[in-house]
Amino acid sequence: MIVADPKPFLQVKGYVEDFEKVLVVGCGTCTTVCLSGGEAEVQILASGLRIAFGKDGRPKTILEDCVQRQCDVEFVLPILSRVESEGIDAVVSLACGVGVNFLADRLGKTPIFPGLDTTFYGAGMQPGLWAEMCAGCGSCIIACTGGICPVARCSKHLLNGPCGGSEKGRCEVDPANIECVWQLIYDRLKRLGRLDDLRNLLPAKDWSTAADGGVRRTIREQLYDIK
Amino acid sequence: MAMDKSSPASLQVLTAGALPTCSAACPVHTDTREYVQRISRGDYEGALDVLLEVNPFPSVCGRICHHPCESQCRRTAIDQAVSLRMLKRFVVENTREYRIARRRKAVVKSDKTAAVIGAGPSGLTAAMDLALRGYRVRVYEKDTRLGGMLAHAIPRYRLPAEALAEDIEDILATGIEVHSGCCVGVDISFEELKKENDAILIAVGLSESHSLPIPGTGSKGVFLGVTFLWDVANGLYPQLGERVLVIGGGNVAIDIARAAKRLGPSKKVSMACLENREEMPAWKWEIEEGEEEGIEILNSWGPKAIVEKDGAVAGVALRRCSSVFDDQHRFSPVYDESVTTRIEVDSVIFAIGQKANLDFLTHTPVAVSGGRLLCDRESMATSERGVFACGEVVSGPGSAIQAVATGHEAAKVVSHYLETGEILKLPHRKIQSIGELPAATAALARRFERIGVDLADPAERIKDFSPIEPGYSEEEALSESRRCLACATGAHLEFPNHCAGCLTCVRICPFGVAQVRRMAFMPARQCQTCGLCAAECPAFAIDVWRFPTSAVKKALRAIVSGLDLEKVARPFLVSFCCLNGTTGRKYLREQPGEEIRDSGVLRVIVPCVGRLSMVDLLRPFELGADRVAVISCPEDGCYYPRVEEWLGRRIKRTRKYLDQIGVGADKLQLFKMDGGGDESWPRIWEEFRAVNMETPVTN
Ligand SMILES: Cc1cc2nc3c(=O)[nH]c(=O)nc-3n(C[C@H](O)[C@H](O)[C@H](O)COP(=O)(O)OP(=O)(O)OC[C@H]3O[C@@H](n4cnc5c(N)ncnc54)[C@H](O)[C@@H]3O)c2cc1C
Ligand code: SF4
Ligand code: SF4
Repeated sequence: MIVADPKPFLQVKGYVEDFEKVLVVGCGTCTTVCLSGGEAEVQILASGLRIAFGKDGRPKTILEDCVQRQCDVEFVLPILSRVESEGIDAVVSLACGVGVNFLADRLGKTPIFPGLDTTFYGAGMQPGLWAEMCAGCGSCIIACTGGICPVARCSKHLLNGPCGGSEKGRCEVDPANIECVWQLIYDRLKRLGRLDDLRNLLPAKDWSTAADGGVRRTIREQLYDIK
Repeated sequence: MAMDKSSPASLQVLTAGALPTCSAACPVHTDTREYVQRISRGDYEGALDVLLEVNPFPSVCGRICHHPCESQCRRTAIDQAVSLRMLKRFVVENTREYRIARRRKAVVKSDKTAAVIGAGPSGLTAAMDLALRGYRVRVYEKDTRLGGMLAHAIPRYRLPAEALAEDIEDILATGIEVHSGCCVGVDISFEELKKENDAILIAVGLSESHSLPIPGTGSKGVFLGVTFLWDVANGLYPQLGERVLVIGGGNVAIDIARAAKRLGPSKKVSMACLENREEMPAWKWEIEEGEEEGIEILNSWGPKAIVEKDGAVAGVALRRCSSVFDDQHRFSPVYDESVTTRIEVDSVIFAIGQKANLDFLTHTPVAVSGGRLLCDRESMATSERGVFACGEVVSGPGSAIQAVATGHEAAKVVSHYLETGEILKLPHRKIQSIGELPAATAALARRFERIGVDLADPAERIKDFSPIEPGYSEEEALSESRRCLACATGAHLEFPNHCAGCLTCVRICPFGVAQVRRMAFMPARQCQTCGLCAAECPAFAIDVWRFPTSAVKKALRAIVSGLDLEKVARPFLVSFCCLNGTTGRKYLREQPGEEIRDSGVLRVIVPCVGRLSMVDLLRPFELGADRVAVISCPEDGCYYPRVEEWLGRRIKRTRKYLDQIGVGADKLQLFKMDGGGDESWPRIWEEFRAVNMETPVTN
């Protein structure tokens, strides 16, 4: 799941200062689950904006909507037609950056602003806590590391760790909150009886499948380009 | 603020038509949950409407119903049943004027007439239903008073005449024609009735007591139970000796014994019955109350003979009853003749069962066999066309509310016959109940003791026939009504397509009820209606029947839109108050605009403020409020576990946000009541409005 955090309220308010009719759009998938961009957050932000602009003596029309996913055409079409038909001046998206981009590409002259800071691909560790698990590097190496990703979960992205900053299983970058992933990998391989695997140094990674290789696309032939 | 009334019909969808156990157990299926919820919201009139919908005898039932609803109440899995009979009594005692005002005379719409013989609960119910269906109805009652056994058997200390009169007057207001003091078979013949009416309903009950074929029953000082009670009810106090033995172990026997005691508190009153203590058919509480009054119970004894001296009772010879029922639970007493005793008494009263007097049917075509009226249970039809029967004459001894239920059914078959000339077989409808509260859920629920009332002191109460049980005060009734779990009116996925399966509901539910199976799912039979999941659901996909999530929004908008904000006293405070804190109706009534304007306080009553979402907390500011108070129950007073913690966190987050949006955290405050809401709320409002607050500078 993609995790995102709410932007500071005043930043979002600043984005829409100059617009009269603003639509706040939530996303019913990842950001709903990580409690930052679902229907409830849409209403909270919209309510906050109404109150804040009202207090400033500049009341604005703040509208609310939430779609199942902001990253698929069919789901965002109703938003596009709403913007058109209701004469909306600006949109604030509470989706991850994907949703904001996707809408921006389709919104013509209407500006769109992110209401969230998209942070990582992560998992719910416990109620109210999410942590990064994958970096989306495009060629997965975790078969060698017991299923645990050093690219995403090592502060230094070391492919052959740990570094000297690993102490009592914690990472020197933020010992209170970050576990040393190489300790985790070591422990896991030990449990799997595969400690010897650590002797095989991981070769330098080809980062062209990651963001460094240019904008990535994926095609599924079975569905793609059907006329 | 009035809350949405959830429609019972739509609620049943939740449980696929199954009723809460209380309603399922009630012979007339009173919508118990709904009337109790209405009481809890201070809508006593609405509660009476619910009661009267199915039961023309709520005042009687509030006093003497054997309350199968309570016996089946799901709250017993947590602590004790909700005190439903007392709540019913509270409703009727507090809505007298409204009840009179809501009376309507039935409009005669048909030229068909029906005669009802017997004005007991079954006959009167049927008569009223038939009148409401537009028929002309004539009721024939041999006694001068209406109500059957309710009027002339149940002693006044349990059922005061005024309570019965309330119900009867209500029924008579429909315009049924009553011929009291008119015994069918004596004052008017059955044949005559047949000639004059298109249908006849026999509802004569069981008006005579059985005696026993033992020596001495003709002696002076031997009484038959029903006759004895009839005399007592009519103030014709029978002459009893100092030592009285009541023969029988059922509720009627207890009533007789307790009535006998009241005819002379110094009398020694005993009961002898075949059954052992556990087998006694009387209700446990009746036995205990009788014993408190000094009645001695002799278990496992059967009378062998009444010993007489000079034609009067001198004692009773008893023999040991070693077993009462055979292996198939049929009544088949076995005696051990070697164990006998004799007790010295001056009076003996038989209370070993009742039978019908069907003399008025002799020489009529209506078939009677072995003293019993032949009647088909499903169609309620007798052997004679157009003649039907209901109540105890058909069903045998039971309760008043069972008799009422048969009266309703009889009205259906009779009206069908009057319309079509045909016999209607009532479909055998099996009532499904939602079943017991699962033990796992019950274990997590908080316990709240049932509110009891103290009966009059036994030494005092045996002095006369004054009612022995006080009713609930308003505060007690409100408290007790809030013990109702409002079964199966809880959370459900209102917008399934919004659910992201995020698991928040599962994590927050303090009862372990919510589940996610691809989508959220809250089993209606388990949900305790706290509303926490709905308040925290990030997709706002969950709603709660009992207090819809949209209710706050709607209520606030409705009130505020009618207000001229300019004129409202400042600071304008919106106060969310927990319904469970009210001790009277003062703050439960709709708030008039002027009151809000002048006081600067708008209250929103919520059944547990824990269900207010962050949006609910922000909404008042959006609508123009200056401050928002959330007043929760006193420490540890909440009906739901963990609410304090979740609400606390939500308030904290909202306050932080209020700072960010320039309103200021201090404009929202959480208060805890100390004592009842009626006293502590106004204090809190005053104090909070008096606090001087600078609006923080927006940066
Ligand atoms: C002592 C006692 C205590 C009870 N306590 C309770 C209790 O606590 N709770 C409870 O729920 N139930 C109680 N009951 C049961 C309850 O009273 C009965 O279930 C109910 O009254 C039966 O109603 P019914 O309409 O079938 O008959 P009844 O109430 O018996 O009414 C029949 C009517 O028909 C009249 N009648 C008979 N023959 C003729 C005729 N030929 N012409 C004209 N009229 C005639 C009778 O006078 C009577 O008024 C008690 C019963 C008794 C006897
Ligand atoms: S708790 Fe309320 S709704 Fe549930 S069974 Fe008891 S009275 Fe009925
Ligand atoms: S309303 Fe309360 S008890 Fe019911 S499912 Fe939601 S959290 Fe659980």
